[in-house]
Amino acid sequence: MIEFFTSSTFQTVLSALNSGFLKTLQLFFITLIGALPLGLVISFGSMSRIPPLRWLTRLVVWVIRGTPLVLQIIALFYVPGMKEWFTWPSGENGRMLAVCVAFIINYACYFSEIYRGGIQGVPKGQQEAGQVLGMTKAQIFRHITLLQMIKRIVPPISNEIITLVKDTSLARVIALQEVIWMGESFMKGNSGISGLVWPLFFTAVYYLAFSGIVTVLLGKLEKKLDFFQ
Amino acid sequence: MKNMKKLWALLLALAMTFSLAACGGTSDEETTTDDQTAEDTSGEDTAAESDLAYVQDKGTLVVGITYFAPMDYKEEGSDEWIGFDADLAKLFAESLGVSVEFQEITWDYKVEELDSRAIDCVWNGMTLTEDVVAAMGTSNPYCTNYQTLVYSADRAAEFEGLTSLEGLNIAVESGSAGEDAAEALGAATVPVQAQANALMEVAAGTSDAAVIDVLMAAEMTGEGTSYADLVYSLNLNEAQDLPSEEYGVGFRQGSDLVDAFNTFLAEKVADGTVLKVATTYGLQDAVILE
Amino acid sequence: MAILEVHHIEKHFGATRVLEDISFDLEQGQALAIIGSSGSGKTTLLRCLNFLEKPDQGTISVAGNLIFDAADPATQRESEVRKKRLHFGLVFQSFNLFPQYTALKNVTLARELLAQEQPDFKENKKKILEDIQADGRELLAKMGLSERADHYPSQLSGGQQQRVAIARALALHPDILCFDEPTSALDPELTGEVLRVIRELAEQRTTMIIVTHEMAFARDVADQVIFMDGGVIVEQGDARQVIEHPREERTRQFLSRYSEG
Repeated sequence: MIEFFTSSTFQTVLSALNSGFLKTLQLFFITLIGALPLGLVISFGSMSRIPPLRWLTRLVVWVIRGTPLVLQIIALFYVPGMKEWFTWPSGENGRMLAVCVAFIINYACYFSEIYRGGIQGVPKGQQEAGQVLGMTKAQIFRHITLLQMIKRIVPPISNEIITLVKDTSLARVIALQEVIWMGESFMKGNSGISGLVWPLFFTAVYYLAFSGIVTVLLGKLEKKLDFFQ
Repeated sequence: MKNMKKLWALLLALAMTFSLAACGGTSDEETTTDDQTAEDTSGEDTAAESDLAYVQDKGTLVVGITYFAPMDYKEEGSDEWIGFDADLAKLFAESLGVSVEFQEITWDYKVEELDSRAIDCVWNGMTLTEDVVAAMGTSNPYCTNYQTLVYSADRAAEFEGLTSLEGLNIAVESGSAGEDAAEALGAATVPVQAQANALMEVAAGTSDAAVIDVLMAAEMTGEGTSYADLVYSLNLNEAQDLPSEEYGVGFRQGSDLVDAFNTFLAEKVADGTVLKVATTYGLQDAVILE
Repeated sequence: MAILEVHHIEKHFGATRVLEDISFDLEQGQALAIIGSSGSGKTTLLRCLNFLEKPDQGTISVAGNLIFDAADPATQRESEVRKKRLHFGLVFQSFNLFPQYTALKNVTLARELLAQEQPDFKENKKKILEDIQADGRELLAKMGLSERADHYPSQLSGGQQQRVAIARALALHPDILCFDEPTSALDPELTGEVLRVIRELAEQRTTMIIVTHEMAFARDVADQVIFMDGGVIVEQGDARQVIEHPREERTRQFLSRYSEG
C-alpha cells in the first residue's frame, strides 16, 4: 500500500490532479467574486421601478436560469469567434476567461433571485424607520437592509455555492483542464501513462475535502449572524 | 462591519474590471476585421481574408490536439508535446515565422474550435473522412492508417484470421471510421467517447474486442505499454476491400494555410525530413512519401 | 405662533379618498391627540406629515416656513424632503427597531450618519461620536433603560422596545414628535410603561401628535383633540371638552361605543 503512494505513477497523477484542481479553485473563486456583486446589480434591475428595465432584466434571468450552463459555456466560447465579433485570447487563459464570464453571468442570475427574495423579505417598516430618521436610500440599504438581507440569504446562497463547487467540472466541455479533465486524461494517456481509471475517481477526494471546508465556513458565517433575529 | 464594506467595494470593482475586459476584446477585433474586408471576395464565408496573414500577424500557430501517441503526446516527466504530428507542426510554424502553441481540445468540437479561431488547425492523426473534408479546409494526406482489431492476448486463438465479427461485442469510438468498419463486419458495437476508452472496455472485459486506428494500437498495446495484455491483428480495411485511410491536417474552410502547408509538406518530403521524423516514432511504413 | 400649520390636505388611494380638506394648527409645546375608528384616515394623516405619503392637495408649514405644497413640485424634491423630515419624529405602532443593532446603536445611528455630513467631522470625529453616544445613553436613561443599552431588540420586551423607539425618535430633536398608536401592539400589562413615558414628555412641553385609542389617556395628556371619521375632521378642540362633552352626534356615538367596549 505504502509503495503505491510513493510510486512515481502516483506522484505524477497527484501533481496533474493538483494542477487541475488549482484551475477548479480559480474558477470557483473568480465566479464567486464576480457573481456575488453582479447578482446584486441584477436584483436591483429586476426590482426597478422602470418597467422596460425590469422586464428586460427578468427576461435575461429567465433565459439564463432556463438553459443549461454547459450550453451557455459552449455558446459564449465559440459563437463570438464564429460570428467574427471577437476572439478569446488563445491558450488556457482565454478558455479560463470565457468560462469565468459564463459562470459569473449564470451564477449572478441565480444569486439575483435569492437577493430579491432577501430584500423583499425585509419588512417595509425597516425602510420607513430609516426614512423618517432622515437617512438616504443608500444609507438605508447599507446600514439597515443589507445585513438583514444577508442573514436571510446565507442559507440559500450556501446551497448554490456547494453546487458551484461541483459545477466547475462543466468547464471541461471547452477543454479547460480542471481536475476531472486531468483525472480522465490518464485513461487516454498523459505523461506516458494511459489506461488508468482510478485518477478519475480519485478526484472525488478533492471535491469532498473542498466542499467540506466550504460547508464548515458557511456554517460559521450563519452562526455569526445568529446574534439578531 | 467595517471590513464587510471594504469587501463589497472590492467585489464590485472586480466585476467592473471583468465587463470592461470583455468589451475591450470586442473593439480590438472589430478593427482588424474592418481592415481586411475590402480585399478578397473569393466567396468562402470563413477566412475570406488571408488566414496566413492573420496567423503571422498574431505570431502564433495554435494547433488543436488531443493526447494521441505517437502523434501528439508527452514523455513521462516532460511537459513538452512531442510526436510525429507535434514535431512537424513545430517545423511548419517555424517555416511561417511564428511560434507554435499546442492546445488540447474536446474532439467533438474540433470544427467549432477552428471556426471560432480558438485554434488555427487540427493536427492530430485526423482521418480524412467525408465529414471532415466537408467541414474543414484539409491538406494533402501525409500518413496512411487502417482499422484493426484489438483483443486480449489470452483469447488470441478466437480472433486470429477472423473475417466476420458477428456475435461479438466490439467497443468503438463513437462516430469513428472504426465504428463503420465494425458495423460493416456484423459486430454489435459499443460506442464509447474515445479510442482510449475502447481499449479500457477490452481490458476491463466489458467488450470482447475493440476496433481502433492501427497507429494507436501499435503505440498503446503490447509489452512495455499500459495495455501489456492486449494484442492486435487484422487489417479491417482489407477485410472489407476498402482502401486505406489517410491522415491530413484540418484548417478553416477556404484558408490559404492549406496551400502553405502542402508546399511545406512537399519540401520536407523531398529533403527527407518527413521520413526522418516518421522513423523516430516508428511510422516509416505508414508515412506517405510522394 | 403655531409651530405646525396644516391646510386643506387631501389624499386619494386610487379612487378612494382617504383624507379630505384636513386643516389644523398646533402650538409649540402642546400635545394633540387624534382619535377615530380604524380606517378614519388618522394614520394616513400622520404618514403625510412624515412624508411617507404624498398628499394630493394642501400645504404644510413648520414654524412659519412652507415645507410642503402639493401644487409646487419644488417643495417635493427627494434631497430636500430628507432634511424636512427631520422636523418630525415618528414612533411606529410596531416599533420597527433595527434588529441588528443594540438599543443604544438604534438611538445613535441616524445622528452618526448625519454627523458625517458635517464639514468638521473628520477632524473632530472622536469627540463628535462620543457626544452622540453620551446623548444616546442619557435618552435611554430617561426612558428607564440604562441597563438595557447594550441589548438587542429581540432581547427586550415589547414595552422596552417601544421606549427605545421613542428615544430613537427623540435623538434627532424633532420639532414635533408623532406617535402612531404607540400601545396598540403591546400586551395590556405593558402599555402603562409606554404611556407613562409619553405623559412625562407632555409634562416637559414636548410638542406631540398622538394617534391613539386610549381615550382616558388622550383626555388627561393632550391639550387638543381631533376626532376624525371617514377621512374628514368631524370635531376638534380642547381635549377634555371634546371627550367629555362632544358637540357632534358622530363624536358622541364613537365615544359611547368606545366606553361600552
